[in-house]
Amino acid sequence: MAPLSSDTGSFERGRDRNGSRLSALSAIRVVAFAFAILNAGPASAGDTVRISGLSDVAFGSISNFTGDSVQSQSLCLYSKSPPANNYRITASGSGPGGAFLLSSGSATLPFEVQWSDLAGQTAGSQLLPNRPLTAQHSPVGAGAADDCSSGPGTTASLVIILRSGSLSAASSGSYSGTLSLLVAPE
Amino acid sequence: MKTVGNRKRWLLTAVAALAMPGAAYAATQGTAGSTSTGSISISATVPGRVQLSGLSDVAFGTVDPTVAAVQAEDVCVWSNTSGRGYTVTATGSGTSNAFTLSDGTNTIPYSVEWAGSSGQSSGTALVSGTGLGGLSSSATNPTCSAGPIASASLIVRMSAASLQAAIASSYLGTLTLVVAPQ
Repeated sequence: MAPLSSDTGSFERGRDRNGSRLSALSAIRVVAFAFAILNAGPASAGDTVRISGLSDVAFGSISNFTGDSVQSQSLCLYSKSPPANNYRITASGSGPGGAFLLSSGSATLPFEVQWSDLAGQTAGSQLLPNRPLTAQHSPVGAGAADDCSSGPGTTASLVIILRSGSLSAASSGSYSGTLSLLVAPE
Repeated sequence: MKTVGNRKRWLLTAVAALAMPGAAYAATQGTAGSTSTGSISISATVPGRVQLSGLSDVAFGTVDPTVAAVQAEDVCVWSNTSGRGYTVTATGSGTSNAFTLSDGTNTIPYSVEWAGSSGQSSGTALVSGTGLGGLSSSATNPTCSAGPIASASLIVRMSAASLQAAIASSYLGTLTLVVAPQ
């Protein structure tokens, strides 16, 4: 709510100087805000999500530069958001602007992120930095343990890919970075 | 007592972190709530590598002894060191790895030159068994299948004097090239 209040204050000050132009801007902002609310889905106050079972990804020393290096892991995605237990997931890397980049000093190595709402997958839907992937479904919701300790132990897959072209173009070095995953009910 | 307990836990945590260098980057698990956030570390080591490809056999055919014979070819050298640097070392199949062709009895000497870019008809003379350094590759792919299609030139040359001194015959030899990251 704070950003919205601040935005409204800015509008009020600007309208005295140039009412018609800022009125149009205000209309755009209202529409954008409404779109953001609608796009957030019908999550209600009692909805709860949890992501757990994540493991660090260590590719080790790359020996094959002609093929992609792929690491996948299954994890627990709990979503108590009836009736469908749907969720959205947003990923951000440690590169500028959340870019999916590993770094070694000033050198960088891009990686790709894929997500599947099924466990045991080695491919999924491509995630883009800071762009939510919507309409994902969890089989674990109300009545189940939020760490998947009851029922299926894992419910989703995370896939990290180092493309061969990126590996070939990268300078030798030890690269590292972080990936953050934010989930929200839908 | 509670403060002492907290200090002990803090100390144990610190000791554990020191004992496990990778612990600072350990995955974090999300907690249950209206949103949940987890994070992981990702690491990869890209070792220093080079690759030489695109070599073709050199066939001079029947040569005119009054004219020097030269054959140049474009090759691909890929290096992933920070400066894309590499060294190249050549050895021949003659005695003590000399650059000579042979018919089984007689020999013809030849020279080898290397240029760090493609499309060249002359370069720096190589000495058998001695690396030539200070070279940098423009290749972005190990086999030049993407980016520039070649990144260096190999030049093999037989002088007119050597050809005039040679006994008429058919000569054959091999040239071995080794590239290394630099």
